[in-house]
Amino acid sequence: MRKLLITALLSLTFSSAVLAEKEFLDHTNLMNHGDGHLMDMDGGMVMGQNTDTLPGGCDEIAATKEITVYAGHKYSENFPGRMFAFDQQEYQFEPCTKLTVNFINEDSIRHQWMMHGLPKYLYPKGMFHLEVTGPGKISGTLIFPPNDKTYLVHCDISQHMEKGMKAQLKIGKGSGDLPSIPGVTAYVIQDDYSDSIPEPIVAKPLTSKEKKAAKIAAAENESAISGVLIIGLAAGLVLAPLLARKFKGMAAGEVVSTIFELIAKVIGLITKLITGLIKMVSSKKSIELSDK
Amino acid sequence: MQKKPLSILLGAAVALMPILASAAVSLPKTVSVDNGGVETICGSNEPEWREAQTVEGVSIQESLRCSPDNPAQIAAEVKGTNNISMETLMNTYYAADAIIKKNDIDGDGDPDFIIIKLEVAELNGHSPDFDGLVPTFDIAPAIQPGMWVFAPKSRGMATNSFVGTDANPLLRAPSPVIRVEQGDRVWIQLENSHYFPHTIHLHGVDHPWVDSAGEGNDGVPQSSDKFVLPGSSKTYEIRPRQPGSFVYHCHVQTHVHLAMGLVGMFVVEENRPNNWVQTFNVGAGQVRHPSKAILEEYDSEYDLHYHAMDKGLHDIIQKYNDPRLIAKKMNREYNMNDSTEDYHTLNGRSFPYTLRESIIVAEPDQNIKLRMFNSTGEQLAMHTHGHKATITHYDGVEHNPNAQIMRDIYDLAPAQRNDLKISTVDDGLHSYGQGVWIFHDHREKGILTDGMNPGGNVSALVYKKYLNEVGLPKTIGESIAPLFTKKFHGRKLPVWQDIDAWNSLGEIDGKGYKAPQAAQPMAVEEGPKPMDFYDNALANKDNSISNFVWGLILGIVLYVLFLNREKIMAMIASARGEK
Repeated sequence: MRKLLITALLSLTFSSAVLAEKEFLDHTNLMNHGDGHLMDMDGGMVMGQNTDTLPGGCDEIAATKEITVYAGHKYSENFPGRMFAFDQQEYQFEPCTKLTVNFINEDSIRHQWMMHGLPKYLYPKGMFHLEVTGPGKISGTLIFPPNDKTYLVHCDISQHMEKGMKAQLKIGKGSGDLPSIPGVTAYVIQDDYSDSIPEPIVAKPLTSKEKKAAKIAAAENESAISGVLIIGLAAGLVLAPLLARKFKGMAAGEVVSTIFELIAKVIGLITKLITGLIKMVSSKKSIELSDK
Repeated sequence: MQKKPLSILLGAAVALMPILASAAVSLPKTVSVDNGGVETICGSNEPEWREAQTVEGVSIQESLRCSPDNPAQIAAEVKGTNNISMETLMNTYYAADAIIKKNDIDGDGDPDFIIIKLEVAELNGHSPDFDGLVPTFDIAPAIQPGMWVFAPKSRGMATNSFVGTDANPLLRAPSPVIRVEQGDRVWIQLENSHYFPHTIHLHGVDHPWVDSAGEGNDGVPQSSDKFVLPGSSKTYEIRPRQPGSFVYHCHVQTHVHLAMGLVGMFVVEENRPNNWVQTFNVGAGQVRHPSKAILEEYDSEYDLHYHAMDKGLHDIIQKYNDPRLIAKKMNREYNMNDSTEDYHTLNGRSFPYTLRESIIVAEPDQNIKLRMFNSTGEQLAMHTHGHKATITHYDGVEHNPNAQIMRDIYDLAPAQRNDLKISTVDDGLHSYGQGVWIFHDHREKGILTDGMNPGGNVSALVYKKYLNEVGLPKTIGESIAPLFTKKFHGRKLPVWQDIDAWNSLGEIDGKGYKAPQAAQPMAVEEGPKPMDFYDNALANKDNSISNFVWGLILGIVLYVLFLNREKIMAMIASARGEK
């Protein structure tokens, strides 16, 4: 019984602890694994940390800088068609700068601030890498080489760079611009938006003046291009010469009476034909075979 | 007499033929197509990973297949990433907080509080920077459908290295099999690292509809749950009371998200003392650390997850980058009613890659447990060569032992699970003896990869004595090498190239080929009449009868009209006269 109670108590404490809103974690208590690799058990990680070794060609640390980089879904707001982003897309520093990056991830997932192309003798795999599960913060330091170069900075989680989490860092004048930096450079391979012309979502309510004008326009439209009108026109054009021949030399009264006469004739003929046919069918004689 | 001009004409043609067309009458010649290079059939072989061994106190079964699981990874999956040395952790791609195991609440020697972290990864997706896919996962040579999977929380890069674009080993299809112990308090934390909303629905797993905080726990946006938005996370809380083979899957736009790959097996193992279960079985297949309950009855255990994909759906994420465009194409323009499944996979791969990872290794007189799961959109008809298995469980519920049946076709409805017991006792019923026995879907489309055979979800149950030193079956049939080429799967290679000395079913070289003048048919002798001659005769006979009858009727009518001609004329005249 006591065991059961303890069990229940334990599980209660645990559930309340983690299910509550994730708290911001400052990852400062990192374990050093050597080679500039630091890590903790909560998903914080630094790789390629270098606080004191000067890269070849640097006589001294030219400047000591510190930046804070924010990352998360919310920074993609200003870039339609992106889903994740850093708060800043471009950085520039003097050669041989010692830079400390405070990386703040405001999402509740992992993000990275990963830089490629550094000298491999100093940075394992040529990489400086900050990784943290948010919400949280992690910091790392590196010293840049002396040459002008543009470095790629990105999050390497599947589709994060492709969907906006990409930036460039220029040392000196840099070595050009990288593609697909949100707000800076275009995609190499563009999307096709040709069939993305939406229907208007809500028509703007019209003022009474506009309504009146619209009504008149509509009426004009109707009288101008009515389909029935065109058919009538065609029929008139065909019939006019025929009628003209028939009514030649008649007075108006005569014309009217002739028209009535014509109509009566046609109707009479039709009824006769019908009654005749009925008679033929119903009369015994007509279906009898010959007398022979 | 009449035949004479024709025979003269034919005679002239025959006489002229040698001059006109001696060479030109032959058909286009046969050529051999260059296969473009055969991949190493067993590529990344890690011989030391195949042995039975103990890592971090975790006993790991032998795995003789070509691509065995990494033992360090198994250790992390059994002990939790929080209970292993940093060195072991560093030999895996797991994040330090991927699997947390603690609190032996009931005091039986195993942890009872398990926190599992899942991310959502896209495989073979689009890049706006170059004409290629990232990160890549081949289901067969050069076959790379766009996919989404739940992935164990990893650390570092999505790719294996900087040079290639290969996904790291934790990012793969299918979504990993999750294993917990009956009665464990389990939190499944979904960290949505993808650009679309997702959830997790625990299909068949005992779970309360709301969690301890009163929030939705069923993963269904229409009834209980909010979307887990990009960049957000959500914890699902369970304490499953019933063991069995179950499922977890995303329940947002389920028809497409499930098909895209956001679906995996969820196994609850029976409670036993000191029972550390292997929390993830990445890539499914052999469970290298089976649970205590399984080992009581079985020698080995395999998870077999069958999936299928429609190119038309899986292409979408490769054609577009803008998430709004992808959402539009997928949610509003793609119509699943018109879909056909093109790729059929077992444990994320199609034949012949299944031979590297998803073979079942057997020895005589063993019991092997298979958990089969169907996440395709259609019924499957799985067939085992050389064996009749007993179906012990349907959908995780044990079938009455007295009523359990043996079959060689196991039909699996969509989302269904069958637990099978294969006995390798050579009695002509359970097993027909040792060999390399394939097992596959018997709907024939299931053994195709985009219409090409052999492909699809074929794999093999291989007896140990038929395995070679790298873990591939010692086949005695045709060479499987041509199947390990991009050309074969790209439909460029004749399926029967070089089956004999002069390649009589090889590729046709039609270049520059001009067909000669068609020959005239020539009657050699009056042969038997073709069948349709008689059919026509019969048809003609029928026509003549009906024609005759109609003629007769018409004749009578005309005759009657003629007899009454005066009456009719008078009637017409009267009708006219009165006008």
